Parts: sequence; C-alpha cells; structure tokens
Amino acid sequence: MAELDDIIHQPLRLKIMAALNALPQQVGLEFARLKKLTGATDGNLGAHIETLAKAGYVSVEKAFVGKKPQTTVTATAAGRGAFARHVATLQEIIAGKQV
Amino acid sequence: MIDSKQATDALADIEDTVRRVRQSQIYQVSSLVLLMWGVLACVADLAGWFWPRYGLYFWFAAYAVSAVGLVALSAYHRSKSRVRVFDGRYFLTFALIGAFGIFCCYFGHFTPRQQTAFWPIYIMLFYMMAGVWFGYAFLVIGATIIALTLIGYFYIPGLPLLLWMAAVNGGGLIVGGLWMRRS
Repeated sequence: MAELDDIIHQPLRLKIMAALNALPQQVGLEFARLKKLTGATDGNLGAHIETLAKAGYVSVEKAFVGKKPQTTVTATAAGRGAFARHVATLQEIIAGKQV
Repeated sequence: MIDSKQATDALADIEDTVRRVRQSQIYQVSSLVLLMWGVLACVADLAGWFWPRYGLYFWFAAYAVSAVGLVALSAYHRSKSRVRVFDGRYFLTFALIGAFGIFCCYFGHFTPRQQTAFWPIYIMLFYMMAGVWFGYAFLVIGATIIALTLIGYFYIPGLPLLLWMAAVNGGGLIVGGLWMRRS
C-alpha cells in the first residue's frame, strides 16, 4: 500500500511541486513567478522551497540577471518521481483502494 | 491517512496549479507577440496615414517582419525553456486565417476604409476565441479593440481613422501585451 508523501502533501508544497512538475524536465520557475502562481508570501514560499530542497525534491539556483538577483527553482528527478507517486496515492484513495 | 474528499481537494489543487502554469506560459509567449504586433500595427497605420497611396505595401511589410519576428521569438523561447512554441502548423494556421481574410475582402469588394476596420476586427475575433480556451486576457483585449475599432469606423471620417487605429489597434495590443506579462 502506497503512502502519502508528508513533505509534498503540505498544501503550498503540493502547489509548488505541481507547478514545477508541469514544466519540461530541467526547466525551472523564477521565484517571483512561483510566488504569483501559488499565491504565497515571500517568507512562506522561501521556507517551503527550503524544505523541498532539503528533501532533494527541488534544486535552487541563484544567479544575477543584470544587477538583479534571480532565484530559479527546478524539480529534480527524485522530486518528479515522488510527486508522481503522491498523485497516484491520491487517486488510489479516491478510487477506494486505500482507507 | 486522508479521506476521499481531502484527496479530491488535493487533486483539484494540483489541476488548478497546472492550469495556472500553462496559462502563464501562454501569456508569457503571447505577450511578446502582442507587443511586436502592437508596434508593427502602429507603424503600419501611421505610415499609411502619411503616405496613404502605399498603405497596402506597409501592411505587407508588417506581415513579413512579423513572420521573421515569430521565428526569432520561437528560437529565443526554445533556447530559454526548451519548448518549441511556433512550428509549421502555426504558420499554416496564420496563412489560412490571412487567406480567408483576403477572400472576404475580395468577394466583399471592401473599400480601403472598410478593410482598415475589417482586419483588426477579424483578427481580434480569433483573440476572443483564444480567450475562451486559454485565458480571459485574450477575450478582454479582443473585445476592447473590436469595440474601439467600430467606434472609429462609425465616428471618425476620412484618413484620421488611421491615426485612431494606430492608437487603438497598435496601442491596444501594446497595452494588452504589457498587461499579459504582469498577469
């Protein structure tokens, strides 16, 4: 019986992973765009990205575009796999295979 | 463990987020096309106002520049996001839309003034259709430009209609493009 992934299941982290997983592999989202897409605040989003990064589910790249710092978050292969398993578990729960 | 309702809510959240990402990507690419077309339409209308005899040629030039611009935009976007946005199917679609517009103008015996109003209205119809599928911004931009074009057609006589069109068609697309980038 598959288990829900506690790291991904938190609502904001679920949205972050859903957004990153919707992109092609190795393509990331800028912090500002991720913030707009998830409706999170700077601090909240930063904290949850850190949690996902510690779990190895996302990679965070910081660079300068001109003089502006830019943070790009990308789902790792492990993150994509974990997200896919999490979604499969949710579907199993809905189908009544798990109680 | 969570129950079925919570799982359904979580999946709905995922679906909503994916939809927002897709819309955001469409808006990012489309906004650049709108900005490019806004500038081209503005220049073509202004040039047509200065040299009315060559108005048609300015529009042909605008279409040629836009085709090159789309190829450049596609290459830029592909290098940045590894996603191909414009391929042969898009160009064929644009060609078919253009061909049907020419067909309408030819068999409808449209005057230059009627064509000045027809083309933006015709193209904006497709924006409105895109709005139904890809996001309300297209719908708002299309409806606004159609309404302003009709106001100009009925209330602005003579060549100044081209100045009006430079502002509402060219300007409208530029404003719409900037708005999409912020959405």
